[in-house]
Order: sequence, then C-alpha cells, then structure tokens
Amino acid sequence: MSSFSRWIVHPWLTIRVQIGLGVIFVVASLPKIIDPPSFAQMIYNYRILPGVLINPVALVLPWFELLTGVALILGIWRRTAAIFIGAMLVVFIVGIGINLARDNPVNCGCFDLASAEKPREVLLGEMKSVLVRDVAMLFLVAQILAATAGRERASAENRNDLSS
Amino acid sequence: MDIKRFAAEAAALLVIAVLCATVANSVAARNRKLAWQATYPNALVVPAAPASPGVLSDEVEAAQPEAAVLRPVPDELPSATLPPSESGVKLPNEASPEPTPAPTRSPVVSSLPAAPAATPKAFPPDPDRPWLEISPEDVMELYSRKMLFIDARRTDAFEQGHIAGARSMPVWEADVDARVAALYDEGRDQNAPVVIYCSGGACEDSHMLGQKLWGVGFDNVLVYKEGFPDWQKRGGAVARGPVQ
Repeated sequence: MSSFSRWIVHPWLTIRVQIGLGVIFVVASLPKIIDPPSFAQMIYNYRILPGVLINPVALVLPWFELLTGVALILGIWRRTAAIFIGAMLVVFIVGIGINLARDNPVNCGCFDLASAEKPREVLLGEMKSVLVRDVAMLFLVAQILAATAGRERASAENRNDLSS
Repeated sequence: MDIKRFAAEAAALLVIAVLCATVANSVAARNRKLAWQATYPNALVVPAAPASPGVLSDEVEAAQPEAAVLRPVPDELPSATLPPSESGVKLPNEASPEPTPAPTRSPVVSSLPAAPAATPKAFPPDPDRPWLEISPEDVMELYSRKMLFIDARRTDAFEQGHIAGARSMPVWEADVDARVAALYDEGRDQNAPVVIYCSGGACEDSHMLGQKLWGVGFDNVLVYKEGFPDWQKRGGAVARGPVQ
C-alpha cells in the first residue's frame, strides 16, 4: 500500500471526515424538520416527484438526514449511514441535474427554505455550485467507505476465526 | 459488507425516521403541520421558461396556441358581454410568464377612452375551468365591490401583511382542506367571484388553491397572479395580524 493510500484511509482523517459530513447533514436537516410545508414546496418545485410522494418525502427525508448525520458523528453504523448519505447525494445530484438540463431554476432547499424570489440566472448559478458541492461530498462518502472496508473485512475474519 | 447487518441497520434507520416524523408532525404548530397525503396535479409539469419582455418567441407561441389573451377581440362586441376567455383573463395551463399581448379592446389592457360603461364589468362563472387569471385592474374593481379575497400564502406571511379583509388559506399547510370545506359550508354563492392571490412571480399557491375551491364547486375562481407585492405597489389596503 502506497503512503498516499495509507494516508487516505488513515483513522485520523476518517474521523474528521465523518464528523464533518455528519455535521453538514444534521445542519441541513434542521430547517426542514422545523418547517415541513416549506420543504414540501421546495420538493414540488423540482417537478420530478409524483404528487402523492411529495408530502411523505418532505416529512421523512429530513429525519433520515438527521439520523444518518448523527450516526456518522457518533461513529455508529458508519458504513450504513455513509451508504445512505451517498444515496441521498446521488438523488440530489440527479434532481438538480435534471432541472439544469431542462432550464428550470429551483431553490436548492438544502440548508435554507426561505422562498425569496431570486433572479433566474442567480438560481441557475447556485444550482451549478450545489452540483459541485454534492459531488465533493460524494468523495467524502467514498473516503469513509474505503477506510471502513478494511476494518469490516478484519472483523468478519475475526468472527470466522472465532466460530471455527 | 454483511448484507444482513446492513439491511437491519437500514430498516432501523427508516423506522426511526418515520416514527420521528410522525411524532414531530403530530405535535407541530398548526402552521408547521403537513398532511401525509395530498394531491398536486401539476407536480410533474415543468413551468415554461419566460420569453424576453416584449418578444413573443415561436417556442412560447407554439406552447400556447389557444392563448385567449393573444386573440384580438372583434370590434363589435362590447367587452362586458365577452366570455371569460376573451375578456382579458388568462386561462389555466398557459405559460405563466406571458409575452406582451397583442392589442385587444378588452378593458383589462386597453388604454382607449372608456366606452359608455355604466354597467360594471361582468365576471361570469365558468364551471369548465378551475381558475382564471385576471389583471390587477380587475382585482381592484372586485375589491371595491367587496368580493371575497383569499390569501394562499403561508400563515407567517399572512400575519406580516395581507390584503385587508382577505381570508387565510395557506395551501401548503395541513388544514387547508378543512378551511376549504368550512368555506363551502358557509353556503356562499358559488358563482360569485372569489379572488385568490399569493406572492406573485413564480408563485403557484393561488392556482393550487383555486383548483381545490373549484373541486368543491366554486365556479368563479379568479387568480391575481401578480399577487401581494403588486397590491402593495398599487397602494392597496393592507392589514396585519394573526389569522382570525
């Protein structure tokens, strides 16, 4: 294993990435938990979810963000939490990407649910920034998964040794 | 990764999230509650991109071939007798940011000297359409006739300022259907004009509420698309305070 590979999965880095990503998701979840109607309106504006799913998603998704974020911060169920955070990021990237492709500016609704009217060009610019940010966060998810894969294997081998 | 362990943790996360959402929503304040089930007929309809001001692009024109607001009105017809689709109102499903309309003789957009119009403008009901968009001038006229005005914005926005005398029916809050039912139960004339507004711009709350009102039988739902910001700009009467 090269020194870069060792450094990239080093526990010192992994813990910081976990806490950073976890805090981001906890912070992002709070305004949505406090005001589900505004979040439902944000989801509606994306125009990609059938009407019957909008309210259930608006109610449950923020709690899912909070729980996975807390799990990462506390270091419990790390891989599961990281996989779900990665899945959510992929969904957000697809949602933003689709609306960029069809030139439909939307408020991201990521951290702020204020419905202030922004000019179309501003919104489109923000959407591109959000795409970059979400892709960057996917790399953080990949780091956690890579760092925990070795330990996962080791613990599985330990279990096998003990059982045999 | 151990699939069984992953499935168990994933299921636990999902169940806890649903439980938390249920409990939080049940104890939330009235204006923060969200109904678990709601229908949004236009949830997958992408709003049309705005055309350049004053320019009617081919694309926009093709997207709204039946746009009545673009249709010139024959000279002989007095405007007050026109059907709603030809009297300056905008029909549902048109592209929202409309291009500059072609010249018409409708009193809504006309700057011609007023015809001897002793009779007030008619706003006949149209049971076939959930709502019709009207001009700010029509809104002013209907307000002076003391027609029912409904504010479709969130409760917080209503409390910070609304058209004086308007009722609050925030379309995104959980009790909107109950409020619509209560309005229906008042036994109002369902052919009388009802004006709905929200915050203008790309806001669709008034259209969504219009759909609900039409659904229970109100046949004369008129949408003030420019909404509350326009009302304030025009110096209309504004009230503040909590929902009655």
